[in-house]
Amino acid sequence: MSTPVKTAPPTPAEASNRVQVTWTTRLLGRPEIGALVAAIVIFIFFLIVAPAFRTPAAFFTVLYQSSTIGIVAVGVGMLMIGGEFDLSAGVLVTSAGLINGMLCYQLGLNLWVGVIISLLFCLGVGFTNGYLVMRTGIPSFLITLGMFFVLQGANLGVTKVVTGSVSSPNINQMDGFQSLNFIFAHEFKIGSVTLSITVIWWLLFVVLSAWILQRTKIGNWIFAVGGNAASARAVGVPVTRVKIGLFMTVSFLCWFTGMHYLYRFVTLQAGNGVGNEFLYIIAAVVGGTLLTGGYGNAWGVAIGAFIFGMTSLCIVYAGWDPNWFKAFLGVMLLLAVMVNLYVKRLSTLRKVG
Amino acid sequence: MIPIRSAKGRALGRSRKGLTLTALAAAALLALSACSGGGAPPAPENQGGGGGGGESGYTLAMITHESPGDTFWDRIRAGAEQAAKDTGSTLKYSADPDATKQAVLIQNAIDSKVDGIATTLVTPDALIPTVQKAVQAGIPVDSFNSGLDYYKQAGALTHFSSDERLAGQEAGKRMKAAGATKILCTIQQTGSVALEDRCAGVKDSVPNTENLQVNGQDDSAVTSAIQAKLTQDKDINWVITLGAPQAMDTLKAFEGSGSSAKVGTFDTRPDAAQAVKDGKIQFYIDQQPYLQGYMAVTQLYLFKKNGNILGGGKPVLTGPTFVDSSNIDTILPFVQNNTR
Amino acid sequence: MTDTLQEHADPTLHKGEPLVEMIDVGKTYGAIRALEGINMVVNAGEVTCVLGDNGAGKSTLIKIISGLHPHNEGHVKVDGEEVHFRTPRESLAHGIATVYQDLAVVSLMEVWRNFFLGSEMTGSKLPLSGMKIKDMRRIADEELRKMGIVVKDIDQPIGTLSGGQRQCVAIARAVYFGARVLILDEPTAALGVKQSGVVLKYTAAARDAGLGVVFITHNPHHAYLVGNHFIILKLGQAVLDKKRSEVNLDELTRQMAGGDELTELAHELEGTRG
Repeated sequence: MSTPVKTAPPTPAEASNRVQVTWTTRLLGRPEIGALVAAIVIFIFFLIVAPAFRTPAAFFTVLYQSSTIGIVAVGVGMLMIGGEFDLSAGVLVTSAGLINGMLCYQLGLNLWVGVIISLLFCLGVGFTNGYLVMRTGIPSFLITLGMFFVLQGANLGVTKVVTGSVSSPNINQMDGFQSLNFIFAHEFKIGSVTLSITVIWWLLFVVLSAWILQRTKIGNWIFAVGGNAASARAVGVPVTRVKIGLFMTVSFLCWFTGMHYLYRFVTLQAGNGVGNEFLYIIAAVVGGTLLTGGYGNAWGVAIGAFIFGMTSLCIVYAGWDPNWFKAFLGVMLLLAVMVNLYVKRLSTLRKVG
Repeated sequence: MIPIRSAKGRALGRSRKGLTLTALAAAALLALSACSGGGAPPAPENQGGGGGGGESGYTLAMITHESPGDTFWDRIRAGAEQAAKDTGSTLKYSADPDATKQAVLIQNAIDSKVDGIATTLVTPDALIPTVQKAVQAGIPVDSFNSGLDYYKQAGALTHFSSDERLAGQEAGKRMKAAGATKILCTIQQTGSVALEDRCAGVKDSVPNTENLQVNGQDDSAVTSAIQAKLTQDKDINWVITLGAPQAMDTLKAFEGSGSSAKVGTFDTRPDAAQAVKDGKIQFYIDQQPYLQGYMAVTQLYLFKKNGNILGGGKPVLTGPTFVDSSNIDTILPFVQNNTR
Repeated sequence: MTDTLQEHADPTLHKGEPLVEMIDVGKTYGAIRALEGINMVVNAGEVTCVLGDNGAGKSTLIKIISGLHPHNEGHVKVDGEEVHFRTPRESLAHGIATVYQDLAVVSLMEVWRNFFLGSEMTGSKLPLSGMKIKDMRRIADEELRKMGIVVKDIDQPIGTLSGGQRQCVAIARAVYFGARVLILDEPTAALGVKQSGVVLKYTAAARDAGLGVVFITHNPHHAYLVGNHFIILKLGQAVLDKKRSEVNLDELTRQMAGGDELTELAHELEGTRG
């Protein structure tokens, strides 16, 4: 055997093409900047065009609408960064509320019991989604689409069997309603403005999500699993556990939002929630999340939800014919995505040195 | 560097922790269920059941444009089921909010050679051709709920519904008398002639009426949209909704926007009826859906058996009846029982 | 790099002790047989070279040791204990670090995140505790410099680096985290002559620090420069299994090549002899 190699190769001199990255370039490279620019542009546009939007009360109404989409969008965004879709999120929100309401009403239980059972059910659905995706290898788009149909049918069918109608019973006389109403649906009156507690919860979830994604080990794993699951697995990342965990995060947030709907609106229509699953995905995409996974940001998703809430309500504030709402929303979203892409490209161009 | 620990040791620790957690959770749930109250009243002896005694043996199809989850149709169906029971017929119920698909369902009924078809005519152009085919095939058809102006053209025996335009006009007059100067009419579904007729009727009486399209499948979206509209247009002092859930959402929108506007609605559901009793909703317009469903089925039975036709060449009106604080008390128990 | 190797090597290693033993190991993928009857021992302080043409089964062998695929037949022992790795995590936990042929990096993620993927440094054991990002960036940068790579920005996505640079990141990662066994799957495949030399020097340094090294290549020259033990695979079976003292370069080359490949090899031989 040869003698041990003692001399290490000389450390190379500082590469001449080493670029001192300025903070502006670093800023432009972040995924949520495009969304922020789009949001600011839309915001100013509506301030000019819709006088009714210029009041603080209007702004907080927009925040409320953004938060009911935004809370679940936080989870859906993280799941998309992890490379998967969940199309069952919209109806699961309604399932959560229906289970709590009907179970407690029929069995005369304290509403808190129903809350916990509903949570367990939702986590179970999330686990099932994740497990099926990982076990069968079938794209999550298809698995969760199947789950969407199952839940949609079950929402209606079970409610019909239990209550004889398609709306859940009135639970506001039941034990536990007051405390639960406070946690999930309280409205703070500050002067002329109504701040819904969901806005506060939304911000908390966004901060938590941003922390997890950017600064923790699990966040690193989420990006890796979405960017290249095979590579991640090869270096020891527990891919299955991460993905199942992400699906369960989405279903947890669906449960939370379902609780809000139940404790604010008390009686639920069993057919509600259909269509919202695409809004969550749109919020994430507008916020800079790549459809193919591995790239995105919690703040971007929040901005995406805000853009949706703002656009949907400002059309009303501007006094325009709301029949055009869907068309206008589509145009706004296309613009937001394009601005997003443009800004991202701008930042990559600057980096070449 | 990943610490080198035996996989076995970790698994054991996990299972012990899991067991403890499950035990604690079960104990907590048991404790909570002990402090429970409220909930469903003991089931009444007769939930609108009973009756029967007929022995017709007919198979009758009912096809509607029910949007999954719309409580209004529960009562139409309940009436139809009871009538089927009373006449000893079999009811086949199907529905689709998409008119083209509803037409296919009617065709299905024709192909199954049913003894009679009861259908709504919500989007007349899409449905009339297929209804005419049924008539040509010798199957008696009657219509209900929507399509008052089209049932003759379709070849239906008769039509059971409220007069939506008339209802809208009456509602408009009533709101005007109560001081309405600008009215907001909210539409929660697209493509329904009945809903459009209602708002058009309101506008006939009060020209200063504005329509607002809302997403009936998301309560928070409805609430936010109405709240936004009330903030944008402070002149609105009355809101009329075309469905009970939207009326309940409007009450929340009032709270949120601090508006002092009033609300009336078409149709009802138990909590909305209670709100009328409590004075929060000023009135609701009752088209008696239970009656529509019941009569639509009964008419088919009577025609098959005896050749009877109701209406005298005109539609049979089941409404509009205005229910407000003056007559809610007698009607409320029937609403809660799903039989009105 | 050698000081990194010395720092991170497991101090309990004794030269010559068997770290990984494969006894009669075989692997089938459905109806396809990838490996059969493989016997191999990786000793501490030695380099075991696994040679063979494409499709011979070299990658499959590596995947079994690194935990990507479990073996169907035979036994695998690590430190004398029988193991059956189901995930790469288990393999890493035993101190086995691998540089894969396809590098196992995530293109969209930053260089430092890729470097520490799967082995992130965290503030505490709690699941949501923050990573020590500043330290991680600094260490990643330092380790890469030791390999001769200065990236423009340690925060740039690894996909923007050249193939050779990415390979160096992968190798630096394995060296940093490998404590007992280092597996290098075609490490010189994407590298130029100079950088290949660097990699070979580090392979030798790892050996001298006491690690067991498995070096996969289809280049017998590189293998002979650092190897203590040579195994040649052909269609899933071992056709040669000799210690350094029992075989010379010509023999190695001749056994590996055959027919048409010989002419290309002769061309290479002319180059190095000069």
